[in-house]
Amino acid sequence: MKKIVSFLNPYRVAIAIALFLMLIELAVELIQPLLMAKIIDDGILQKDLDAVARWGMVMLSITLIAFFAGIANSFYAAHVSQSFGFDVRKALFVKIQYFSFSNFNRFPGSSLMTRLTNDLTQIQNTVFMGLRIMLRAPLLVIGGTVMAFAVNVKLASILICSLPLLILFLLWMMRKAGNLFRIVQEKLDAVNRIVQENLAGMRLIKAFLRHDYELSRFQKANQDLKNQTVSVLRFLEMIQPVLLFVLNASILIILWVAHADVVEGEVKVGEVVAVVNYATRIMSVLSMLSFIISAFSRAKASSLRIAEVLETNIDITDDLAQSANEIKEGKIEFRDVSFTYPDSSSQVLDHVSFIVNPGETLALLGATGSGKSTIFHLIMRLYDPTNGRVLIDEMDIHTIKLENLRKSIGLVPQESLLFTGTVKENIAWGKEDAELDEIAAAAKSAQIHETILKLPQGYDTMISQKGANLSGGQKQRISIARALVRKPKILLLDDSTSALDLKTEEKLLNALMQYKCTTLIITQKIATAMAADHILLLEDGKVLATGTHEELLQRVPLYRKIYESQYGKGGLYGAQTSY
Amino acid sequence: MALKHLIEPFRHPKMEMKDGAAAKGKKPKVKDWPGTLKRIWKYMSDQKGWVFLVFLMVFASTVLGILGPFLIGKAIDVHIVEKSGENFGFLLAALVLIYAFHSLSIWFQNIWMIKVAQNTVYKMRSDLFQQYHRLSISFFDERKAGDLMSRMTNDIENVSSTLNSSVIQISFSVLTLIGTIAVMLWMSPLLTVITLIVIPMMVMGMKWITRRTGLLFKEQQQNLGELNGYVEEMITGQQIVKAFSKEQRVISEFLAKNERLKQSAFWAQTISGFIPKLMNALNNASFTLIAGIGGMFALKGWITIGTIVAFAEYARQFTRPLNDLANQFNTLLSAVAGAERVFALLDEPEEERDNGKQTNFEHIKGEVIFDHVSFSYEGSSQTIHDVSFHVSPGETVALVGPTGAGKTTIINLLARFYEADKGKILIDGHDISKLKRSALRKTMGFVLQDPFLFQGTIRENIRYGRLDATDKEVEEACKLSNAHSFIMKLPNQYETVIGQNGSGISQGQKQLLSIARAILKNPSILLLDEATSSIDTVTELKIQEALERLMKGRTSFVIAHRLNTIRKADQILVIKDGRILEKGSHQELLDRKGFYYELASSRFKKETI
Repeated sequence: MKKIVSFLNPYRVAIAIALFLMLIELAVELIQPLLMAKIIDDGILQKDLDAVARWGMVMLSITLIAFFAGIANSFYAAHVSQSFGFDVRKALFVKIQYFSFSNFNRFPGSSLMTRLTNDLTQIQNTVFMGLRIMLRAPLLVIGGTVMAFAVNVKLASILICSLPLLILFLLWMMRKAGNLFRIVQEKLDAVNRIVQENLAGMRLIKAFLRHDYELSRFQKANQDLKNQTVSVLRFLEMIQPVLLFVLNASILIILWVAHADVVEGEVKVGEVVAVVNYATRIMSVLSMLSFIISAFSRAKASSLRIAEVLETNIDITDDLAQSANEIKEGKIEFRDVSFTYPDSSSQVLDHVSFIVNPGETLALLGATGSGKSTIFHLIMRLYDPTNGRVLIDEMDIHTIKLENLRKSIGLVPQESLLFTGTVKENIAWGKEDAELDEIAAAAKSAQIHETILKLPQGYDTMISQKGANLSGGQKQRISIARALVRKPKILLLDDSTSALDLKTEEKLLNALMQYKCTTLIITQKIATAMAADHILLLEDGKVLATGTHEELLQRVPLYRKIYESQYGKGGLYGAQTSY
Repeated sequence: MALKHLIEPFRHPKMEMKDGAAAKGKKPKVKDWPGTLKRIWKYMSDQKGWVFLVFLMVFASTVLGILGPFLIGKAIDVHIVEKSGENFGFLLAALVLIYAFHSLSIWFQNIWMIKVAQNTVYKMRSDLFQQYHRLSISFFDERKAGDLMSRMTNDIENVSSTLNSSVIQISFSVLTLIGTIAVMLWMSPLLTVITLIVIPMMVMGMKWITRRTGLLFKEQQQNLGELNGYVEEMITGQQIVKAFSKEQRVISEFLAKNERLKQSAFWAQTISGFIPKLMNALNNASFTLIAGIGGMFALKGWITIGTIVAFAEYARQFTRPLNDLANQFNTLLSAVAGAERVFALLDEPEEERDNGKQTNFEHIKGEVIFDHVSFSYEGSSQTIHDVSFHVSPGETVALVGPTGAGKTTIINLLARFYEADKGKILIDGHDISKLKRSALRKTMGFVLQDPFLFQGTIRENIRYGRLDATDKEVEEACKLSNAHSFIMKLPNQYETVIGQNGSGISQGQKQLLSIARAILKNPSILLLDEATSSIDTVTELKIQEALERLMKGRTSFVIAHRLNTIRKADQILVIKDGRILEKGSHQELLDRKGFYYELASSRFKKETI
C-alpha cells in the first residue's frame, strides 16, 4: 500500500494545488447557505431589498471563482492521475521485464495481465476521484458541521451526534469490503486463466471433444466470480440507505427541536433554514460515500496486488558483474554444477562438469528430463546454479553483465516463438541494426530465404500472432535465422530442428559450420550428433559419457542402444545394403 | 521545481481533434445504438420480473425523495416561520415513515439490480465462452489471443459496471427531473422559470464537452487495447526477450505506447472532468438566483421563505440528475461500445454447420479414402491439390515430405479442423462432411504438434483423454506410454500439479503425457503429428513398442521424420508442394529411385564412417 502511495510523491506540488483548488470550491459551497441565511434574515425579514441584492452579488461572484477553480482542478487532477498511472505501469512492466524465470513461475501470465490492466485502472481512477471528490466528501462533512455550529450550537449538536456513529460504520464497511474485493480480483484471475488456457489449447479441446468439460470448469469459475461480486456489492449497498435514513432522521429531530426554540424566540428562522441546508448538503455527500468506499476498497485490494509484484525479489542480478567483462572466444566450462529448480525437490543436474572449446560443436544427448535444457538455461543465466560454477572465457558468468552475456548468445528455443510484425522484423530481433543483406544471409543459412521470397510480400510479409500463418518448420527456421543474424559467439540449438525434414536439416547444419561460434545442440537424432565434435550423454542429471561418435559407440552401451534404435541392428551397414 | 509542477498540467500536447482518430476511422463508431441496447435488454429479459421491481422501487424512491423536501419546506413555513404547533408531531411522524420507505426502496432497487446485472453478465460471459468453442480453428489462427481475452474481461466488465449503476442512475435521474420540475411549477412557476434559466447554458456546455470526450474516449480505449496486446505478447515471449536481452528495447516500445495512452487519457479525463464542475457552477448560480431573486419576490410577498428553501433544495435535486446523466453518458457509451464488441464476436460465423448431423458412427473399421481433395488456407499460399489415396483398416500411413508440403493439412482435414474445398473424404464409406464433428472426432486419437497441458494435476491432464477413466486405467495408459516411471519420480507423483503451459516438466515429458492421453482414449484412428520428434531415443524405443501394440487394428497416420517409423509403415505418402508425389512401401519407393530415394539417401551419405 505504502509502496503504491509513494508513486504519488513526485506530484506533491500538483496534488497540493489540486487539493487547494478543491478547497476553494468547497469553501464556496459552505459559505452559500450562510449567505442564504443573511438574505433571509437581513434582507427578506428586514424588508431590505439592497441587502438581498448585495448578498446575491456576493454569491454570484464566489460562484464564478469556484467554477474556475474547478476547471483548473480538472487539469491538475487528470495530470496527477495519468502521470501516476503511467509511472506505475512503467514500473510494473520494467519489473516484469527483469523478472527471472523463477519469478515468472510465481505469477502466471494471465494474473500479471490482470494486474497491469484491470487493477491499475482501478487505482488510477481512484486517485483521480480522490483529488476531486473523495476528499471533498469528508471535508464537506466536517466543514458543514463546523459551519452549522457557527450558525447555531444547539441545533448543530443534534447533527453531530449522528456523525461519529456513521463514521465508525463506514470504516467498518471499508475494511470488510477491501477483503471482499481482493477475493473478487482473485476470482477474476481464475476466469481469465481458464479463458486464456482455452484460447491457447483450442485445437486440443476440439480434438478431444472436451467442450462440455471445459464449459463446466468455466461455469464454475464464472459462477464463483458472479457470487463473489454480488455479495460484495450487496454488502456495500447497505451504506447508502442507512446513511440517508440516519441523516434524514436527524433533520427531522432538528426541526422538532427548532420548533420549540423558534416558538420561544431563542432561534432565528434563517438559522434553522441554514442548519437544515447544511444537513441536506452533508447528506448528499454522504450518499456518495457508498460509491467512494466501494472504489477505495477496490483500489486498496488492487494496490496490494500490484505491490506484490513490485516487491518481488529478483534473484538474477548484475550485482557481481564487471562491465569490462565481455565474451570474445566463446569457451564454455561447467565446473561441478548442480541444479535444483526452485520449489522442487528433485535435482535436475548432479555435479556436471565439461568444457567446450571456442568454435567447437557439442551435441547434448539424453533422455527427457535428463537436464539438457537446464544446461542451456544456466549458460544464459535464466537461473543460477545451486552449486558449482559456470565459466565462459574463463570468467565466472556472475562477473559478466547479463546484457553482455546474452548479447553473445544466439538461442533457438524448442518452441519457436515469433512476434507480431514482418518476417524481416522478426529476424532483425536478433540484431536491431541489421542490414537487409545481413538478414538475407542469415535466412539463407537457416534455409528459409527461398521460402520467404515465395511469401506474398517476401520479407515484408506480416507474421500473425504466434506465427499461425507459417508451418512449424518455417517458424523454426525463422527462429534460427533470428539467432544467426546476431553472429553469436555461442549458439544454442534446443532440439530446434525437430520439425525439419532430413534434407533441410542437413543443409542447415552444413551452413552452420561457416559461423565461427561455439555451438551446443540438443538433439535426439544420432545423425545430428555425429556431425558434432563431441557428444555429451546425460542420464538423470549426470554426465554419463563424453567423446566423439566413434568413442561412444565403442565404449558406451546406452549410446550403442540409441544408435541401433535409429538405424536398426547392424546400423548403417544393414541400411546401406538395402539399396 | 515548484514552477515546473505548477505549469506542467497545461503543457500536455493538444490532442488532434475531429480529423484525428475519427477521420482515420481506426476504431469503428458505435454503429447500432438501438440494436445493441435491445440485445442487452434481451439478455435481461428472462429476469423481467426483477427488472420491473427495480423500476418500481426507483419510482417509489424518486417520489419519496421529492416528497421529503416538499414536506420539510411546509414544516418550515407553517411550524417554524409561523410558529404553529398544530399537527406538527403528525407531520414529523409522516416524514419519518417517508424517509424509512425511501431508504428501503433504495436498498431494494440496488440489491435487485445487482442480481439482474450479474446474472446478465454471467450469461454474456458463458455465451462468449461457448462461442469461442464453436468458432473454427482458423478463426483463432487469425486473431490475437490478447484481444479475445480483452473482450471477455474488459468489455464485459464495462457492461457489468454500467448495468450495476447506470440503469438505476439514469432512470432515477429522468424521473427526478420530471418530478422536480412538476413540483416546482406547482409551487411557483415564476421561480421555476428563473431556475431553468441555467439550462441553455448547461446544454451548450455539455455539447462542447461531449463532442470532445466522445472522440477522446475512443482514442483512449484504442490506445489501451494496443498497450494490452503488446504486454500480452511480451509476457508470453519472455524467454525470447531474455535470451536476446531485448529488455531495453521492449521497455522503450512499451513506454511509447504508455505515453500515447497517457496523453489521450489525460485529455479525456480533464475535459470530461469539466462536466461536474460546470454542473456545480450552474447549480450554485441557480442557487444564487433563487436566493437573490426569490428573496426579492418574498419581499413583495409573492412567495414564502419556505418556498425559497424548498426551491434551493429542488435546484440541487434538479441539477444533480442532469449532472449524473452527463456523467453516465460516457459510461454508457463505453459500455455500449463494449457490448458491441462482444456481440460482434457472438455474430461471427460459427464453424460450418454439420450438414448430415449423422451421430451414429461407432465401432468403425477405419478405412480412409481421400477422393480428389483440394484445400487452401484463407490468405495463405499453403494448399493441397487434388490429393487422393486409400488406406485400408488397420494400416499405418507415414506422411513424408519437406516442411510446408501439406502433411499437417491432411491431418487437419481428416479431423475436420478445416473443411476441404473440393473432393471428398470417406471413412468406412461415410462422407465425413456428413458426420457430426463430435461423432467423427470420437473415433480419433490425437497427439498434436504442441503437447498442450492445462493447469492441474498429471492425473487430470491424462484423464482429459477419457473423463470416465478410472485411476487404474490412467496409470495403465501411462505405463504404456512410458510416462509412468518419470511420473513416479515427481514429488507428488500423479497428483503433481503442473503449471500453465506445462511449466515444471520438460518438453519430452509433455509429449509422453500427451501420448498417454491418446492411449487412454482408445481410438479407431490414430493421428500422430510429429509427436515423436523430441522424445529421446531410449524412450522412443519403448514408445515404438507401445505404439505398435496400440496401432494394431487401428488405422494410423503418422507425420514422422524417423526412418525407423517410416520404414515400418504399410504405406508411405511422399508429399511435396501439396501433391502426392510418390506412394508405396519403403522398399518400393527406394527401388523407384525418385524423390523419396533422394530424401532417404541424403541422410545416409554422412553415415559412412
